[in-house]
Amino acid sequence: MGSLEPFNRLVKLTARAFYDDISMKGENQPKTSRGDNRGMAVVVLDALTRRQWVREEDLAKSLKLHSKQLRRILRFFEEEKLVTRDHRKESAKGAKIYSAAAAAAGDGQAGTKEGEEKVKLHTHSYCCLDYAQICDVVRYRIHRMKKTLKDELDSRNTVQHYVCPNCKKRYSAFDALQLISYTDEYFHCENCNGELIAESDKLASEEMGDGDDNARKRRREKLNDMQQRIDEQLKPLQAQLKRVKDLPAPEFGSLQSWERLNLGAFTHGDSCAADASRNAQGQYNGTPMPYLGDTKVDVELAGSGAKEEGAESGRNGAELKVLPPWMVKEGMNLTKEQRGETSNTSSNGDEKSEGKDAKKQDPKEDEKSIQDEYIKAYYEALKKRQEQEDAKMMQQEGHAFSSTHSERQLGTKTKREDGDVEDEGVEWEEQEPLGNTSEPYKFVDLNAEAPESGDEEDGIDWEEG
Amino acid sequence: MFFHIVLERNMQLHPRHFGPHLRDKLVAKLMKDVEGTCSGRHGFVVAITGVEDVGKGLIREGTGFVTFPVKYQCVVFRPFKGEILEAVVTMVNKMGFFAEAGPVQIFVSNHLIPDDMEFQSGDVPNYTTSDGSVKIQKESEVRLKIIGTRVDATEIFCIGTIKDDYLGIISDPGAAS
Repeated sequence: MGSLEPFNRLVKLTARAFYDDISMKGENQPKTSRGDNRGMAVVVLDALTRRQWVREEDLAKSLKLHSKQLRRILRFFEEEKLVTRDHRKESAKGAKIYSAAAAAAGDGQAGTKEGEEKVKLHTHSYCCLDYAQICDVVRYRIHRMKKTLKDELDSRNTVQHYVCPNCKKRYSAFDALQLISYTDEYFHCENCNGELIAESDKLASEEMGDGDDNARKRRREKLNDMQQRIDEQLKPLQAQLKRVKDLPAPEFGSLQSWERLNLGAFTHGDSCAADASRNAQGQYNGTPMPYLGDTKVDVELAGSGAKEEGAESGRNGAELKVLPPWMVKEGMNLTKEQRGETSNTSSNGDEKSEGKDAKKQDPKEDEKSIQDEYIKAYYEALKKRQEQEDAKMMQQEGHAFSSTHSERQLGTKTKREDGDVEDEGVEWEEQEPLGNTSEPYKFVDLNAEAPESGDEEDGIDWEEG
Repeated sequence: MFFHIVLERNMQLHPRHFGPHLRDKLVAKLMKDVEGTCSGRHGFVVAITGVEDVGKGLIREGTGFVTFPVKYQCVVFRPFKGEILEAVVTMVNKMGFFAEAGPVQIFVSNHLIPDDMEFQSGDVPNYTTSDGSVKIQKESEVRLKIIGTRVDATEIFCIGTIKDDYLGIISDPGAAS
């Protein structure tokens, strides 16, 4: 999976550039939703950048939106080709685990449970950003905008329209043959024989005039101005597009394949397919799994969580994993650049991990002590935060686990650092299943979820506080 | 654009033509009927180049006419959007000018004429550049680009532009005389 950050930035820029003032008003707007909901689209897109596949209900809940409202927005984005959606039938909440397993496995496996007859299938929708397509769509959109404007500017390839001032009947240049009058050199209306006037271009309709030189000149100025403003205002977006162009787009695949991939990391080895899918359902309906995999901070903890006893290596690997996309893509002069970006970027998770990386990289050569100092301080803070978060969490084991785990890091971290940087990121997916061969991991990964989702907020708190 | 295609048509022939020259009569009638017509699908039929096959005739009840299915090769002309054509100006007015490329009528509206050309009314209405070096009037030959076609079942009408590189007047009869 490519680095998400530049793509997320692209999505955010796109949202603000094009979907800022989209109002999602249905024709039959219920009066409960008062006020305008412009900007909602931006919020939804931003939220999606922090998730991968997410169930729409969960998304609605976390955005405090009505699910219908959210669905309308998502449908809009689906039409805009920014979002892929998937719908599938799942059981009602009560019977979800069994029926989902049965339905997903589809083999009546594990002796169809008693829940089957009273299971009601509900269609659940999932959605996910389609990064590769977003790039194309945005590029195409900009291209179209510019082309339209340019055509209008040289009034090329545009069919002139004529309108009758009396009866407002409109004609296009295609009707010219019928409209010519043999008495004078003007076009005449078929109905009232009024003299038709040429309709000026839509984009500059204020500059109404029958195409005399002055009006034409003014129109031209206006269009030029508009073109300049477009260039100016879309500059950040285009810069981002350019940056992203050569990067491989993050690909989550279809819902099923994504699920399989992620489950592969989380389920233990001896679990059968049905078990896996059941597990998936459990995660969807219970703790919101989609929150886990997306930000890098999460991933880091997930890695460590899944490998319990190999915690140092897992930890290290997961942490380094944050790095590769940056190292590989942006070249080796990244440290100062990275720092520059860290101060600018608003994404908390990345900032944190990047800062860590930068810190980790530089001093490695010169001063170990500073590094140790930093790491110690960092983990102190992290631990404290996690404890705070965990107090809120229901899962107590999660608490215990994360604290022990972070303590373990303190001692061992420095020595693991020279682990090869490139490999970790790539191999992460495969590493997980390796570790998942024995039963106890099931526990671990369930626990790991709590600290992770906690940690995401953690990062944000850190930023703001 | 020109195409050489095979078309099929059911020809009705009056019984008086039946005889040794039936086929010739049939082909002559086909040419008379078809050449110069326009179908929205294929464009203008310019010329029939050959008759491929004349099927078995069927006598129509009551009239005595015989219907022959005829397959014939012909050259058709169909204008396309984006195509560059050379055309003869047929009429100039304030709204633009009309031109003909063979059977096709093309209208070039005044905003698709370069901005430096202005309409001059008078005895011979024309579009002229400010220095008078280029003049578009009736009978001028222009090269234009088709930017839109309206295709009806029996008619094709085009809109053209001369506002592009290498478009515009080809030879000016006024300059020659």
